[in-house]
Amino acid sequence: MKTAQIRIVISLLIFALFLLLFLGGENISVFLASILLPFQFVPALIHVLTQPEALFVSGLIFILVISFIFGRIYCSFLCPLGTLQDIVIALARKTGFHKKHAFRKPNNWLRYSIFGLTFAAAALGSMSLLNLLDPYSLTGRIFTSFVQPLFVRTGNTGINILKNFNIYLFPADSAYLPVSVIAVTFVFLIMILIMAARAGRLYCNAVCPVGTLLGFIARVAVFKLTIDPGGCNHCNGCESVCKADCIDAQNSTIDQSRCVSCFNCLDACPQTTVSYKLSRNNIRNSKWLPARRGFLIGTLAAAATGLFAFTPGLRHLLGTAHASQNQPITPPGSVGLNHFTQACTSCHLCVSVCPTKVITPSFSGYGLSGILQPQMNYENSFCDYECNLCGRICPTGAILPLPLPEKKFTQIGEVELLKDKCVVYVNKNNCGACGEVCPTHTISFVDKENILYPEVDTRYCIGCGACEKSCPTAPKSIVVHSNLIHKKAEKYIGQEAPLTQKKAPDKDFPF
Amino acid sequence: MTDAQKSNRREFLKKGLSVGLVAGGAFILGKPDFLAAKDTTTNIPDLVAVKNGEPDAMFKKAIQLMGGMGQFVKKGQTVVVKPNMGFPRKPEVGATTNPLLIKTIIESCYSAGAKKVYIFDNVVSPTSGNARNCYKISGIEDAARAAKAIVIPLDDFNYREVKIPGGKTLKTADVHSLILDSDVFINVPVLKHHGSTQLSIAMKNMMGIVKNRMAYHLTGLDQCIADFCMYKKPDLNVVDAYRVLMSHGPAGPRDGNTPNVEMKKTLLMSRDIVAVDAAAAKIFGKNPEDISYIKIGHQQKVGNMNLKELKIVTYAM
Repeated sequence: MKTAQIRIVISLLIFALFLLLFLGGENISVFLASILLPFQFVPALIHVLTQPEALFVSGLIFILVISFIFGRIYCSFLCPLGTLQDIVIALARKTGFHKKHAFRKPNNWLRYSIFGLTFAAAALGSMSLLNLLDPYSLTGRIFTSFVQPLFVRTGNTGINILKNFNIYLFPADSAYLPVSVIAVTFVFLIMILIMAARAGRLYCNAVCPVGTLLGFIARVAVFKLTIDPGGCNHCNGCESVCKADCIDAQNSTIDQSRCVSCFNCLDACPQTTVSYKLSRNNIRNSKWLPARRGFLIGTLAAAATGLFAFTPGLRHLLGTAHASQNQPITPPGSVGLNHFTQACTSCHLCVSVCPTKVITPSFSGYGLSGILQPQMNYENSFCDYECNLCGRICPTGAILPLPLPEKKFTQIGEVELLKDKCVVYVNKNNCGACGEVCPTHTISFVDKENILYPEVDTRYCIGCGACEKSCPTAPKSIVVHSNLIHKKAEKYIGQEAPLTQKKAPDKDFPF
Repeated sequence: MTDAQKSNRREFLKKGLSVGLVAGGAFILGKPDFLAAKDTTTNIPDLVAVKNGEPDAMFKKAIQLMGGMGQFVKKGQTVVVKPNMGFPRKPEVGATTNPLLIKTIIESCYSAGAKKVYIFDNVVSPTSGNARNCYKISGIEDAARAAKAIVIPLDDFNYREVKIPGGKTLKTADVHSLILDSDVFINVPVLKHHGSTQLSIAMKNMMGIVKNRMAYHLTGLDQCIADFCMYKKPDLNVVDAYRVLMSHGPAGPRDGNTPNVEMKKTLLMSRDIVAVDAAAAKIFGKNPEDISYIKIGHQQKVGNMNLKELKIVTYAM
């Protein structure tokens, strides 16, 4: 088997696993999250900075080490957006839309400024650029916004058809997605599709901050794809299959910072002058001085940001997430608004996986710095008392895993009963919708002449939103307000002791 | 003439007419043996109460006293059994209908010749756990499957709007098509405390077949519960009062606190949904007069809450 074919098989397999991660349901998602996500650069980096865990630290080290040894194989094997582009590129080639690649000069100013801006902004507390450009998060949003609804709808159609055969299955819900969020994702998807179809891995080499960073490392990698100038007859075979457009066959050079190690050129060279080999004489091959200067600047910038980046104090100071009056409610496990907004990369995995679909991305609910980050949406749903799934799959540590017993006492918001709106107080009619669904002992009823009036005791409230969701009035008579820092709810201690079975079974009926 | 007598006469006329039709039809088809079973109708009690047994044994005794399942389920008919499994609670909490009872009822339907028996409940959606959890944790899904019933999952699409004749507040309701399309409807609630209607029994359990339950809450729960019963009365109501949740209903205690459950080991059965609720209220220890929807149901002639006027058969095991 040829090297490129091995790459195709592995990358497609990983891509399929990513699809399963977003669509597979609770157990599959938790399992795949633990094996796939520590090896995604940005999530792993953010996770390490938020909550250094062995798994993510080793994931990050793994990515850096393989990049130092093999170059940017991350981009060709592990990155789901890379594989998505490869699929488009292959289709463009098959359909004759874009048959041959050709060398193009690097867009150094563009990629280095995007890289610098992205990490500088993140360091200063704005996740906006990183969230928009991170290839994993972008793929996640594409899956959530476009693949997931299609998948759920197809599945439900199937379930409806099965009914005719007396097979009854539970239908699934699709995530709630605001039009603005879909629109942003759509623009990026179209942009990437066009770039990939017309110019191969242009996104990876002109826009993607991860690609730029790994490009710095790839320049000094141990193994490199190189052209032996002696044996080369400049047939352009390698150049025409190079998706990164980084091979200059006329000069027999390969721009290592842009090479994504797809190995297409290895198989394409009729002379076998292209080889993948140990290269000790490192940067010698490159004749691109601007790139070298850029590399130096980039390394310095990266080191500088790395040094003082993500220090929570600095980011809190400069964070712009204190935007609106009505603060969004963040999922249980996210500690509080600041922790969440400064660690979430808007990959929307939680949005896809949440069983009650209460987690909804908001375009600017957190201000522009937290663009597309999700929040709890009690207009549409509520947070399931018996569920802590989002914390178990979040790749960045924005939502930290909460053991279920702990989650059940984590107060993400606090309820308020508006007695001037509540139908029981206004119309003197029994309702009780909120009390029926409250999973804690927050809502109790006081009986006055056979009318049961709701009262709330916020000590027990965890802010799950079940009451708000079920309240029949418009606007709602019971609403949850965000806790900027999550608190701990009290445990209810029952007043009445359970009745003892004192009586022997009698034989009388009360009628 | 009292209201009850009036409705009894109407009922009698209806029954007489249908018996006549069946008899005529049977005669034409040459199956006069069918008539023999129908004859026992006259001796059928209005309400049967059984106590001190296990759910399955109590049901078998009660249905026997009621004249047999053949009174309600005919050969080849489709049946919906509607338990209360609106909450993700284990049977021990008393918030959901006893699974053994459901299983016994399904088996009884099949032995009476039912073609298909369905199980369905429109669960309280914003409760902890989803519909699947409610079906599962209540133990009813497994019990129903063991008895070969078809478990219908909750979905949003299979509801049809119906008009409610004489509905005071509730004029229309979206009813699950399964209920509308099946031949027989057996209502199997659990008797339990309810935080917003005092008690949840048979009339309250009917909220589990409509989609627009929030309209009930908004416009007046008690009135709407009674109004809906003007549209649809179950063919049979079986009230599970084996394990009775005495407080913190309808969901039971939260945070894993011990449920306040009393082992009443009682089962009630009636065609009359108001009567069975009135009797169940007494079993719970409440006066039916104090339960608004029972009172409204009686006033709107859905049924009779004056137990003294009814023919009640009791049996203690």
